Amino acid sequence: MNHDAWLAALAGELRRHGVGPDLTGHVVAEAATHLRDSGESPLRVFGQPEAYARAVADSLGGPDLRPPPRQPGPVRLEARGISKRYRRQRVLDRVDLTVRAGQIAAVVGANGSGKSTFLRVCAGLVSPDAGTVRVHGTLGYCPQEGGTTEFLDPDEHFVLVGAGRELSRADARRAGRAHATALDWRPSAGTQARHLSGGTRQKLNLVLARLGEPDVLLLDEPYQGFDRGTYLDFWHEVWRWRDAGKAIVVVTHLLNQLDRVDIVLDLTSAREPVA
Amino acid sequence: MPGVDAERRAQWLRGVLDLAVLALLARGESYGYELSQALKASGLGTVQGGTLYPVLLRLQRAGLVNAHWREGASGPARKYYRISAAGSEALRAAATDWTAFAGSVGAILREVPKP
Repeated sequence: MNHDAWLAALAGELRRHGVGPDLTGHVVAEAATHLRDSGESPLRVFGQPEAYARAVADSLGGPDLRPPPRQPGPVRLEARGISKRYRRQRVLDRVDLTVRAGQIAAVVGANGSGKSTFLRVCAGLVSPDAGTVRVHGTLGYCPQEGGTTEFLDPDEHFVLVGAGRELSRADARRAGRAHATALDWRPSAGTQARHLSGGTRQKLNLVLARLGEPDVLLLDEPYQGFDRGTYLDFWHEVWRWRDAGKAIVVVTHLLNQLDRVDIVLDLTSAREPVA
Repeated sequence: MPGVDAERRAQWLRGVLDLAVLALLARGESYGYELSQALKASGLGTVQGGTLYPVLLRLQRAGLVNAHWREGASGPARKYYRISAAGSEALRAAATDWTAFAGSVGAILREVPKP
């Protein structure tokens, strides 16, 4: 079993043993760091994922007493039988995904497995060869790159995108700055997007996707260029959005986040989501 | 019978591992892998992560250590553990108890005639 598979299995077992999502994330991250430091196999250092998860749960001295996760709400995003070819290359083959309010779905898979294409289909930016997408509510989309306008500063972005979502100029600016603060970013007036670093431009993208509080958020590896701290901030934000009843789809290639989500759609092998 | 010896050593270690970890943390804050190396260097043998981290969690849960994530100068963020005031207090008391206990066991074992 390789490291990522072992860590993913550990995350699942911790959840099964009633360890909360925050602590699960910490335990998995700590194990990953230890494995990197020691260079030893996970089975040798920690044993079977199930046994280690049990030891962790035992050391907590009882079940997690925090309130159980909210019941997921109504269906917000419904993708059925999505297929897509580019020339002779089959990129997506009858992919299904249903995400309800209050759920996070991770779309994973190797490079070229069609993760971004699937998200663009969900966003209505690419039409599939077959299949349907239904979105019940409003939609926010954060692309992997692009999405910002070179010669506009952050406030102008907020106002422009906010206008499309029926926010007044002042409300758009206020919301944009508040969302930026949550990502440890204080946008300075007058700095055009082309002068922002890659990571900051991604923050801008993320903030824009959220303006107007859409019901469905589609995020395409939105944390590229983030440092570790911002990356953690990002996940805390995503959990907060989930708790606020948003339906969230995150494209990612990093397996160590899978413990933090409700649904995993792996486009590499299985075409069916695993709850 | 090396198997029996190893089993006995493992039992001893189970009884004192949390104290050994606390004592190492009394020297200064540290993280899991570094602690496992320090335990080995102290002659306690290899304590695998599967044993060590649950002990750290228990200490953290009991408020004897505090933990926080910090980015290294190079490499990934690590979870650093630091002994708390309550931990220092518990360690002092336990060290006194242990010394008395080990002394008693030692006194009995010293009566065993040498071959």
